[in-house]
Amino acid sequence: MGILLNTILMIVVAIAIPGVINRTRALLAGRKGLPFMQHVRNVSLLLRKGTVYSTTTTALFRIAPAVYLGAAIVAMLMIPVADLYPLISFEGDVICFAYTLALARVAIILAAMDTGSSFEGMGAAREALYGALIEPALMIGFATLAMFCGYTSFADIFESEQSLNLHLTIVMVLTAYLFVKITFVESGRVPVDDPRTHLELTMIHEVMCLDYSGIDMGMIHIAGWIKTACFSMIAANAVVATGCFHWWLAVPLAILLTGVSVGVVESTQARNKLVRNTTFIVTISALAALIFFIGYLLQLDINI
Amino acid sequence: MFYLYLLIALALLVAAIFLSPLRAKVWVSFAAIAAAALAVAVPSIATLAGGDAIQVASSIRSVVDTGALAIDSLSAIFLLIIGVAGIATALYSRGYLAHYLNKKSSAHISLHYTALVLLVVSMMLVVMADGGFLFLFAWELMTIASFILILFDAERPEVLRAALAYLVMMHVGFIFLVAGFVGAEAATGSASFSALGRCFAEGTNTGIFILFLLGFGMKAGLFPMHVWLPEAHPAAPSHVSAIMSGVMIKTGVYGVIRVVSQMTAVEQIHTAGVVILTAGIVTGLWGVILAAVQNDVKRLLAYSSIENVGVIFIGLGIATLSMAAGHTGVAMLAMCGALMHTINHSLFKSLLFFGAGNIYSQMHTTLLDRFGGVAKYMPVTAILFLLATVAICALPPMNGFVSEFLIYLGMLDSVRDGVNTLYAAGGILALALIGGIAVLAFTKLYGTLFLGSPRDHHVAESEEVDSLRIAAMGIPAAGMIMIGLFPQYAIRIVERTVCALTDAEAIFIDYYAASALSRLSLTALLILIVITLLYVIKSRAQGSRTVEKGPTWGCGFTSPNIRMQYTGESFAEGLESIATSLTQNTVEGRAVGKSEIFPSTHNYNVRHKDKIDRLLAEWWVELLRIINKRIMKLRTGKINHYILFALLFLVAIFVLSLLNLI
Repeated sequence: MGILLNTILMIVVAIAIPGVINRTRALLAGRKGLPFMQHVRNVSLLLRKGTVYSTTTTALFRIAPAVYLGAAIVAMLMIPVADLYPLISFEGDVICFAYTLALARVAIILAAMDTGSSFEGMGAAREALYGALIEPALMIGFATLAMFCGYTSFADIFESEQSLNLHLTIVMVLTAYLFVKITFVESGRVPVDDPRTHLELTMIHEVMCLDYSGIDMGMIHIAGWIKTACFSMIAANAVVATGCFHWWLAVPLAILLTGVSVGVVESTQARNKLVRNTTFIVTISALAALIFFIGYLLQLDINI
Repeated sequence: MFYLYLLIALALLVAAIFLSPLRAKVWVSFAAIAAAALAVAVPSIATLAGGDAIQVASSIRSVVDTGALAIDSLSAIFLLIIGVAGIATALYSRGYLAHYLNKKSSAHISLHYTALVLLVVSMMLVVMADGGFLFLFAWELMTIASFILILFDAERPEVLRAALAYLVMMHVGFIFLVAGFVGAEAATGSASFSALGRCFAEGTNTGIFILFLLGFGMKAGLFPMHVWLPEAHPAAPSHVSAIMSGVMIKTGVYGVIRVVSQMTAVEQIHTAGVVILTAGIVTGLWGVILAAVQNDVKRLLAYSSIENVGVIFIGLGIATLSMAAGHTGVAMLAMCGALMHTINHSLFKSLLFFGAGNIYSQMHTTLLDRFGGVAKYMPVTAILFLLATVAICALPPMNGFVSEFLIYLGMLDSVRDGVNTLYAAGGILALALIGGIAVLAFTKLYGTLFLGSPRDHHVAESEEVDSLRIAAMGIPAAGMIMIGLFPQYAIRIVERTVCALTDAEAIFIDYYAASALSRLSLTALLILIVITLLYVIKSRAQGSRTVEKGPTWGCGFTSPNIRMQYTGESFAEGLESIATSLTQNTVEGRAVGKSEIFPSTHNYNVRHKDKIDRLLAEWWVELLRIINKRIMKLRTGKINHYILFALLFLVAIFVLSLLNLI
């Protein structure tokens, strides 16, 4: 029962976040904006459309969206919603989570290379580089959680400590901040990437999918939502683990944390120049290492 | 007697290969390798299944006692790796060498096959030898056999140069090993691995450990001694690269494990662990960054081997540190990971080199940016290469992920329990970055080679290779899939060895590692099922809709052409701009300037050389040249001078013996 609820809630979060982002942006810009469920309508339209495939492509291009979405779904099944239990949970599932998402990334990069387009190759190259640089942040973030909670599985990590504890709160809030930052990179949002840009030369994620249409494009969009939901749920779990550890708090928190922060950043900031992106991402990794170190010092009970 | 038998066996082998008809030589060598593999496989499997270490020969005497030959659980794993890779290599070599058969002399082909058998047998001797002298003998035999194998295409000057550089560097490593064994003999009176234990116990003999690390590191390709790998692998025929990269460099790993396993003092093990971990981190990062910027297929693969040796050493380092801290759980996991990665790397790297051989034999180049769209012409190679790519990027559901998972899990557990926290965190950071950049390197390799449109007309003229070569590639591929999908059973291969090395209980491995791995196996299967389901649903949905074909979307650009595709060079440009300080670029020709609005024909050729290569190679090559010049003055070409030298030598010996100096 808990597992089913967990999965359903993850899907709810995945669907709600893009809606919240759109509403936040509309609100801040003073526009009427899109309806909350517009993105779902767009994708369901895509799912019903026919497709065009480039003659350059091979079978890999057709399988890649299934791999992309499939890997994202399996990764989603590892994330607990606060006190509920995910379907897949074992010692070390944090590693499995990171590498399953890497599988998704490899599939979409190779698919982009398969089209033989210079633009898509460009996007693939950027995605590969940024993915490589964000990986340490992700793993060291998990290491911080493992160090503080004493487990290497998501479900146990967040389950472990529920008493109010200053050290734990500091580390958990910092980790939550880290994972929100990672969400920005992994889901291709401003300031790293702009999903609404009109110029292919400056895109990252969108340019990789230029040749996808119809049902394939729909699957890629859905996978993107799921990936965002996974990261924001980790961040939300870290926050609620410091005090009120319940799913009814984690779900709205996950939706609002990412939805509002992405919406605000997209409304107020311009996208980075592409050369700045590497610095931005390496900074996140450095931040992750710093948070780990702070956690280590706190663990040793050094008063700061 | 042993050496006599060895000599007789060698003579018989040489006779059989040289006398057999040209096309049968491969089968003679295949039979020899298969026989050797089977002969060692039976005792190896028995040892791994729970039997005791098997003494093949308790003491081998020639002039002096050169020590015993034994199969224990550690050697057994390496014997199996050598056997499998040897068989696959011999099978593969038939197709690869087929078009050389009428170009090269019969003796040349025979020599190559003899060296191939010799390489396999000598590697087996290396991992079985306990006595130092027997070990060094086998080690030297291995070096010479591989040297002959690299030299196959000796007409090309770069091959000659690479082979000579290899020979010189291997002998520098050899000197370190000799020094290590001599040190052990000086301390204990016996030069053998088992004597090393006494040697280490007697005092802080960290110097001897460093000597062995340098000697073995030279073979394994540890930073900064890795420079021979990216030179030797492109020069060697592909099946030789496969066995050298997949298996031969692992003898270095074997040596380090063997030496470390003899240590007993806690501080010493700790020091060794720190050294190994640091070496692993530096080697892994250096290897993977250099791999990502290479624009030659085989150089890229060679650097990736360096990276994987780094990963193995990270696992070993963590295992060693945890052993010193008495943290058996982590030691067990990390050691399982390191040994599994050794097995896994031997499988997927052989497959990758075989794949590189397939495309080389069709297109006669290994320059990455000449390819593109090969998947359409060589579909089976493309699929097998894709499997290996997924595996080497350590992605589920392939085998590379299993070993990296174990190493990660070890490190996370180490962090969790607060033992060696900072070392483990360093390892996690490094391994994550290595994994990420490996993805970049191999998506670049696969994307540029197999996907997109052909950049060169040779691609469109290529065709799939013969089925024997595909079958040879199927051997590692099958192993990879089995380990990837059912890691909980595969781990039983290393179970005994890990128990022996880390003092962990077998039940502990079953309980902890195998239980996590069985869940991992379920997850891997789930990924496959979900992907298949989604694909089937998608295809069915598309069945009733219009599915059209059209050109790739050119983003409104009216005349896109194939030359505008993203090349491997441009793919890695972002990383290159970060890693400029690691490489030395040699540029031929000129890039298109920013001010050229209508560029004329340009020729632009860039090679990313390793900075360490220059640092390490240049000064001593120069030194050697100067010394050589001096010595050459003695070579006057006159007989009377030479007789005088001989006389002077005898007098010198006489005088020295009078003074009791020799």
